[in-house]
Amino acid sequence: MNGESVVQITNVHKTFDNVVRALRGVSAHVLRGEVLVVIGPSGSGKSTLLRCVNGLEKVDSGQVVIDGTDITAPKVNINKVRAEIGIVFQQFNLFPHLTALENVTLAQKVVRKRSKEEAEEVTRELLEKVGIPEKADNYPSQLSGGQQQRVAIARAMAMNPKVMLFDEPTSALDPEMIAEVLDVMLDLAKEGMTMMVVSHEMGFARAAADRIIFMDEGRIVEEGTSSKFFENPDHQRTKKFLSKILH
Amino acid sequence: MAVGEAVTKKRKSKVAPWTQALERVPWWALILILIGVYISYSILNSETYHDTFLFLSEGVKTTILLTVVSFAIALVVGLITGFGRISDNIIVYNIATFYVEVVRGIPLLIQLLYVAFVVVPLAVQGLNAAGSFLVNLGPAGFLAFVGEPLANVNIQNVNMLYRAIFGLALGYGAYEAEVFRAGIESIERGQMEAARSLGMSYWQAMRYVILPQAIRRVLPPLGNDFVAMLKDSSLVSALAVRELTQLAKLNRARTFRSFETYNTAVFLYLAMTLVLSIGVKVLERRMSGGK
Repeated sequence: MNGESVVQITNVHKTFDNVVRALRGVSAHVLRGEVLVVIGPSGSGKSTLLRCVNGLEKVDSGQVVIDGTDITAPKVNINKVRAEIGIVFQQFNLFPHLTALENVTLAQKVVRKRSKEEAEEVTRELLEKVGIPEKADNYPSQLSGGQQQRVAIARAMAMNPKVMLFDEPTSALDPEMIAEVLDVMLDLAKEGMTMMVVSHEMGFARAAADRIIFMDEGRIVEEGTSSKFFENPDHQRTKKFLSKILH
Repeated sequence: MAVGEAVTKKRKSKVAPWTQALERVPWWALILILIGVYISYSILNSETYHDTFLFLSEGVKTTILLTVVSFAIALVVGLITGFGRISDNIIVYNIATFYVEVVRGIPLLIQLLYVAFVVVPLAVQGLNAAGSFLVNLGPAGFLAFVGEPLANVNIQNVNMLYRAIFGLALGYGAYEAEVFRAGIESIERGQMEAARSLGMSYWQAMRYVILPQAIRRVLPPLGNDFVAMLKDSSLVSALAVRELTQLAKLNRARTFRSFETYNTAVFLYLAMTLVLSIGVKVLERRMSGGK
């Protein structure tokens, strides 16, 4: 960690359909090599915040800067910035008409202009890393939820992103498959990947998070290191949330 | 009610078990095959039928050519218009929607007449005017070289077959546009988001992620429209294009053999459409079983 922000979010506001105020002035940052975990009750705006980071949602006001590029500026090449940001979705969103291998190689060839051989080599390495090298030629419909999510992680990693975003990556999984996905994420964290994770997995937050942000009603309520956050939170709202979620 | 139904069914089968077997026989297909055998036999043995068949089979070729070419153009027009219908660009969206709504609100026969006798002549006049303009710009050189043939296009020389193809393609393009639009919109939003998040442009995501899935889904309705166009191509007889229906009309006028003429025409149309619908059904089954 050298104190340099890969993601810098400044005073972001976002309203849906002029009624739902999803984000009300949120500022946050992720340093290089840092793991930031965002938690909070549903509807608190944490997923919206994450989607604003790669421009899937346009902010109403405020600024989002990715590694020096302001993606909220009017004439930014958003495709170029997105190639540097990996994102893993709750619903995996694998391409069902392509095999696992093709899912991971597609953007490498189309966006990164890698040759077929180079892209496949990268893919095989990554599938090995996420623990399913034997599933390369299977279609998503032939894979379990946990396997699909690991292919999705490999697909994002194949672009050599500067930061990885995770949008509740284990929420759609059967309980016994959660661990295999979290293990892959823990490995990434240990290797020094810069990560911003929206999750309800407190175990992962404890083990991997450098910092934790707690959000409620579109605002950041509390921010702190993982140990401080769990053992000695400042705010009443945070204590209430933790007591419900940690039993 | 469900109970009552079960009781009647049971009683029925008790009274006459063989009636169930008879009910399951596809009588319609058997009758169809018998008629087909009868007409095939007549074509081989009756001189009138044989003569009619030879006369009409030229028309079958034209009908197939007309349908295949028109449908291919309609697919291209439909895909482009379909993209227009989901475009964020207000101008593009409105042009596409105008086309679709106008065409879908007019009988195909009127469309064919309108294209053949209004749109094409106007287009030729436009070409003539543009050609003269180019010629008048400079007496010799490149402009005149391009302009002169344009100025001399004669409406008489624009074959009715081309006008018919143009008309059918425009008419069906509007329907195919809606098929493509529905197919593209049926793909989950997450697919586009995932593709764009990997840095692909909108059109790259369309080409590599959305369209391959959408086209697979719309193949059966496209197949149905192909069969429908084969039948609608008979309307082109109003433009005196020598396709199957037109030749049937001519044959009847020539021989006064209405019965044989139209029997053969029906036989030929059914032979084509039935084979095609079986193809579409096979396609449908494969698509639904594929995933």
